[in-house]
Amino acid sequence: LNAVPGRAPRQQVRFLPAPAPGGGGAVELVAARVPVLADHPLVRGPRFRKLKIGAGHRLDVKASGVFVLGIGHGNKLLTDLYNCHLTKVYTVGGLFGKATDDFSDTGNLVEKTTFDHITREKLERILAVIQGTNQKALLMYSNIDMKTQEAYELAVKGLIRPMGKSPPIITAVRCLQFALPEFQLEIHCLHETQQYLRKMVHEIGLELKSSAVCTQVRRIRDGVFTLDDALLRTQWNLQSIQEAIRNCQLKVERELERTL
Amino acid sequence: RRGLGVAAGPPSSRQLREAEEAAPVFQYAGKAARRKDRVFVWGFSYSGALGVPSFVKPDAGWKKPRRIQPTPYRLETEEKISSAACGYGFTLLASNTRDITKVWGMGLNKDSQLGFQRSRRDQTKGYEYVLEPSPIPLPLEKPQQTRVLQVSCGRAHSLVLTDNEGVFTMGNNSYGQCGRKVVEDEIYSGSHLIHHLKEFDSRVVQVVCGQDHSLFRTKKGTVYACGWGADGQTGLGHYNITSVPTKLHGDIAGVNIIQVSSCGDCCLAVSDEGDVFGWGNSEYLQLASVTETTQVNVPRHLPFKIGKVKEAACGGTGNLVLTEEGNVFVWGYGILGKGPTLTETAVPEMIPPSLFGWSDFSPDVRVAHVRCGLSQFAALTNKGELFVWGKNLRGCLGTGRLEDQYFPWRVTVPGEVVDVACGVDHMVSMVRSF
Repeated sequence: LNAVPGRAPRQQVRFLPAPAPGGGGAVELVAARVPVLADHPLVRGPRFRKLKIGAGHRLDVKASGVFVLGIGHGNKLLTDLYNCHLTKVYTVGGLFGKATDDFSDTGNLVEKTTFDHITREKLERILAVIQGTNQKALLMYSNIDMKTQEAYELAVKGLIRPMGKSPPIITAVRCLQFALPEFQLEIHCLHETQQYLRKMVHEIGLELKSSAVCTQVRRIRDGVFTLDDALLRTQWNLQSIQEAIRNCQLKVERELERTL
Repeated sequence: RRGLGVAAGPPSSRQLREAEEAAPVFQYAGKAARRKDRVFVWGFSYSGALGVPSFVKPDAGWKKPRRIQPTPYRLETEEKISSAACGYGFTLLASNTRDITKVWGMGLNKDSQLGFQRSRRDQTKGYEYVLEPSPIPLPLEKPQQTRVLQVSCGRAHSLVLTDNEGVFTMGNNSYGQCGRKVVEDEIYSGSHLIHHLKEFDSRVVQVVCGQDHSLFRTKKGTVYACGWGADGQTGLGHYNITSVPTKLHGDIAGVNIIQVSSCGDCCLAVSDEGDVFGWGNSEYLQLASVTETTQVNVPRHLPFKIGKVKEAACGGTGNLVLTEEGNVFVWGYGILGKGPTLTETAVPEMIPPSLFGWSDFSPDVRVAHVRCGLSQFAALTNKGELFVWGKNLRGCLGTGRLEDQYFPWRVTVPGEVVDVACGVDHMVSMVRSF
């Protein structure tokens, strides 16, 4: 970053003594533009010595996926994005037949169960119930008076969401793949932690009268940032970062305007 | 060195894997595990209509009686209940078994609407409030072969439909709603009389009770009515009471009716071609699309252009229909389900499907059945979810709150809701467990 040519040094008008065009001896003041010495690169030093980087929503050690960072002045946008309360999308992979103490496949085994009675239909039924109870929680925590006409209109459009602190709420769940004993779900949620998603996989296993552990949690969308915008480990260099920032700026502005 | 055995350090990954493989496997549900059928009740309990005696008379001295049950409560029944009906403070549950006991009743019994329940303290008198589901003895000719198909309850009378022995009626008959001649000054409390009706042109397939009248629908598609007619709800062309079931004419003559519904003093019928017919009370604009009069005593066709109607439900002041595409339309007066501003309309208005759980994620969610209470509405989706809205009289909506609900709200029931019956201040639902 420091190698990028910084801005040109400021110019100032100074009256400098210069020899007069007439005879020698008499010194005249001539106005001239002269660079300010305080702006000289050798005086100022490198432009960037520290960078302020802020992180968006937390991501576990065992999880992977999109992680939003703000640099410098972008940190202020981070708080605004947090207040927008946009949903995040995860792909969660699970495995039937085992139950562990920390709900993931690397924990200590608690119990093993049979799972051949589970069908995709039963799983979808449980997912429908989960969506139903979470819809109710969505309406309840949004602090809108249910008796008003505007509450009804927002509910019809599906725009009611909690605008403050709330427990984790799941707005939509879908089963992407189902091949006993593995399955994969796509979950849209608000205010959650990855451990909560793993606990949900465990509870789905319990509801189906068996047990399940979570093998994979991957965030594929965080508000406006999708997997396409995210930079891979190999792309962590200045050019790609600058390009990514430029591409996302417009999206972020539009989203903030819409919500706030 | 003393050999004290190998020190136990952290188990290596090979030891962990072996321990895991050696762990016992538990089986909680086999491949042939069947889903159980359960009954859930909620609403006002002091009349005994919920069937849980500990709500009215607590079993321990320090417990307080529960006046309202605001969320679904499981009711233990001996048999699988296939049909339920809620009246005004009483409930009937019926099972289609071949055993001798087929119908159970609980709640108010001041007009013997639950038959004669012999009191244990005094063998000659009957109970006036029945707090637990008690069997109702029906005078069947072949009790071990006949099955009960459906039950229905009105304000103070009830109807039981069997598959090959016709209809049995019991309860108040001061307007002839039980289908027998009105006896002056008859005392209905503690009466043993259960009337049997079998003279219809073909087999009766549906019985519906309004507030003080009864409707019978036969296999051929004709409708019979008896009972109070001051609002024209018997549809027979006059405003007097009828004590013998008589066939209806008017716009439904010759039409094959596939469903009839009534709860208060208005009635709706749906034909096989998707047309809606209505008669009865129209003070709340229920039939205002065809006539300005407030009482209609002949069935009239309601010319709505909303598509082919599959099912209709008639409430006290508002009506609800479900079309073939799965859309729900409401009209009438009261809390109709479209927010607090819409209180009355004569033309059906559609309730947006997004309120019933339809979204881009689940585009195949549709409403499968609609039911009406006196001022409440209920809708069942094909995913087994129950949505209710309307006046929350003594907690009958089951949402857990005591406020009125102005748009459809989910009721959390641990299972897939198969059917629901709505009464004035309580509801009963039949649920299949996961």
